[in-house]
Formats: sequence, structure tokens, C-alpha cells
Amino acid sequence: MVMVRAGGLLHHVARLGPEDAPGAPPVAVFLHGAFIDTLASFYFTLAPAFAAHGWDTVMYDLRGHGRSERPPSGYRVEDFTADLDALLDALGLTEPVHLVGNSFGATLAFDFAVHHPDRVASLTAVEGCPAGSGWAEAMAGALHRATETLPEDQALAWFTEQYGTVSSTRTGDPVHDARIARLGRNAGRLIRATTITRDIPRSRRPTADQLAALSCPVLLVNGEHGLVATESAHLTAVLPHCRRVIVPGHKHSVLVEAPTEVTALTLDWLDEHTHTHPTPTTPSSARPASTVPNAAHPATVPGEARPGSTVPDAAYPAGTTPGSAHPAGTTPHAAHPASTLPHAAHPVTGTAR
Amino acid sequence: MTSTDPVRVYSARKDAAYPPPPEAVLAEVASMIELILHEYADGLPEITRDTRLGDDLELESIDLVTLSGLLTEWYGESVHLARFVAGLDPDAIIALTVGDLVDHIVARLAPAAGE
Repeated sequence: MVMVRAGGLLHHVARLGPEDAPGAPPVAVFLHGAFIDTLASFYFTLAPAFAAHGWDTVMYDLRGHGRSERPPSGYRVEDFTADLDALLDALGLTEPVHLVGNSFGATLAFDFAVHHPDRVASLTAVEGCPAGSGWAEAMAGALHRATETLPEDQALAWFTEQYGTVSSTRTGDPVHDARIARLGRNAGRLIRATTITRDIPRSRRPTADQLAALSCPVLLVNGEHGLVATESAHLTAVLPHCRRVIVPGHKHSVLVEAPTEVTALTLDWLDEHTHTHPTPTTPSSARPASTVPNAAHPATVPGEARPGSTVPDAAYPAGTTPGSAHPAGTTPHAAHPASTLPHAAHPVTGTAR
Repeated sequence: MTSTDPVRVYSARKDAAYPPPPEAVLAEVASMIELILHEYADGLPEITRDTRLGDDLELESIDLVTLSGLLTEWYGESVHLARFVAGLDPDAIIALTVGDLVDHIVARLAPAAGE
């Protein structure tokens, strides 16, 4: 594993993608969710497909999460934004990057885009929204319930239950419960050892003017029964360049439960904003519905007069099919072994490649 | 990283025959898992083909990221856990056995794998 010092903390970074591809490949930076999430949620879903599609992908564990350092305090959204700013510097990523955030990671992506617009080429928010008053209340209430009104050992059960209610596919079976219980233990450690539950609700929030001035293209990916429908509808109305796609039948955990669909629709949307438009100046809202080629997978886009918009899975075969063969030499980064590992001897580096 | 870093410890032992037979792969994968779980070595069951990564070893998905890196470092880019399991949901990944990993590695290292 690669540890990179950024924001004064050691961050666990994983990277998949072409290292020496002709020209500069577009860079996607993935931001995972809070408490029970780590970079693994992208490492085993979107990132391999992005890499096979010619993207340079950067994943990292947020402070306090996964294998990154867990400081006792400093868990407001702006603290995470400062970490990302420092991480991009440490990795030498000076060109604008494409942010992909899941849940709380999407909240971080919006904050970063508002405060560092020159570093963001596009923003994909999977089941997430900017910090706002409703968001803070919901987050504070949930955290209060988990940490104040429940005995310590029941906070774990609360996370198990909470995750169960937002998962659309598996509930109640022993294997699933055991996995959620392990995740809950990690969340419990984070909550007990740090100020995160107090810090997150006290984060700064973007103003309406700041959001309206967000110049980069934004893709909202929602589960049909997700947690941010109201916020997403509002964003669609106020953001200058915003498209919203809903994955039917899924809840908040759509990223890990429908990875193929999320990968396909995200890559398709990003293709519009990278390959044909290297500088994202074209409003996505001006694009015709026909740019999304296949209605066979009926995602819906409220606010646009069409019933279906998603892309065929076959368009992105590499990395999206379990156990599929990827012979060495056929993927863009096949000649660059162990992209997550080669700098283990240099834990603090300004050039982690 | 310190001297207990699994990558560096394992890389230092990189002297085996190539391509390795399945029994050797099993032993090597078991070694990697033991390195990842070295903090919990006392409670580890014997690692066999039937050992489940999640239920038996309690590997979390972030542990699998580390294992993925070890596998690629050791066997080369043709063995890549992320691509092997891409598209599986987390529960299916956690349900994998050590034997599943060994079979994948052996298949990818075979001369007929289309290298």
C-alpha cells in the first residue's frame, strides 16, 4: 500500500490506470462515504473499469477511515477538502481532475469544487449532495441517535440496522450481517476515538450563489429509493450544468449494489466531458437525450422528457465482468505492475508515481 | 513503511519457481493473508482451499485491497484481484474462498492464458 502525507496526515492511496499512456490521461479522484466506507468501495467497482477505459484513477481513505491516519479531531467538511487539496499537490496533479464522490464523499466533492473550482473538471455525485441545513440536521440527528441516546455497544447495532435499511438487495442473512457488523466495529472506533460526530454537522455550507456559480459539469446518480431525492431535484434546478440519472430499484448503496450500471452511466457521461470536450465548457443540459444511447436499462431522468437513459453494459466490457479475462497487454496499464504498491519504500513522497 | 510492511517482507522472499504449482500458490496466498492479519495471528484458523475470506478470516474489503496489491506484486499484472472480482457485489467478494483465488492465479499464470 502507498501512504502519502497530505494535510499533515498519512493517507492510504491506491491507484489504478495507465502510467505512461500517450498524452495525459484524464484523472478521476474517488471520494468514499463516511463511517463504514473505505476506498475499497471504488477499488472493487468503478476504478478497474475506469482504468481499462484509459483513465488514471486515484482512490484514498479519508482521514479517520480505512488505513489512513485517524486524528482525534478535524472532521469538518472543510478539513477533508484541505486534505484533498494537499493530496493533489503531493501527487503532482496540477491539472483539473474529475471527482467521483459517494454519499458523504459527494458532499466533500461539492465543497471542494466550490472552493477549488480551478482544480475540478467535473463532479459525479453518487447518492450525495452539498452540505446544507437539511443535510446537517439529518446528519446530526442520526449521529446523535447513534452516539448519545444509545449505549456504546448498541451504536454498532444501529449502524447495522441503518445500513440494512438503505440496502436494497440483502438483509437478514448471516453472511451479510457479519460483514456489516465488522464495518460497524470500525465505525464505532471512529466515533468513539474522534470528534467526528460533533464536527460533521458544524461544517461550512455552500451558499446558493456559490452553488449557482459552480461551473463544472455535474452528474447526479441516485438510487430510485435513495436518501437525497429532494436535494437532487433542487440541485438539478439550480446548478448550471447538471444531469440527474436514477437507477431503478436501488437505494442509497447503489454504488456497491449496482456497480455495472453506475460504471456504465458514469463513464458515458464523462466521455462527453473529456474526449470530445477536454475543457468542460459545454453545458451538459444542452445535450440531446440521444447522447445516451440505450434505453434498455430504464434509468429515468426527471426534468427531462424521456423515460429512459442509461448505456449498454457491453460498451464497457473490460473490468466490469466478474472473472473475465484481461490478458496482459490488452489493458492500458498492463505493462505497469502493481500500481498500488511500488512506492512502499517511500511513505512520504511528493511524487507518488 | 516499517519492516513489518507485508509488501516488503514478501518481496524479499521472491525466489520461487515460476510458474508455481497450485500447492505452492496456496502456500503463498496463505502467507500473504497471514502477513495482512499478523496482528491476529493467534486466532487464525489453518488456511486451506475451503477457507472463506470473509466468514472464516474476517477479512474486510480494505484488507482485500491490500491482498490485491500483494498478489499483483508477487505474480505480476496478469493477476489482479480488482479485475477478477470487478462487478461482484461486496458480499460475493467476501464469500470468496482461498481456493477461488488460487484457481484464478493458476489460470492466469498458465502459458495458455493468452499472455
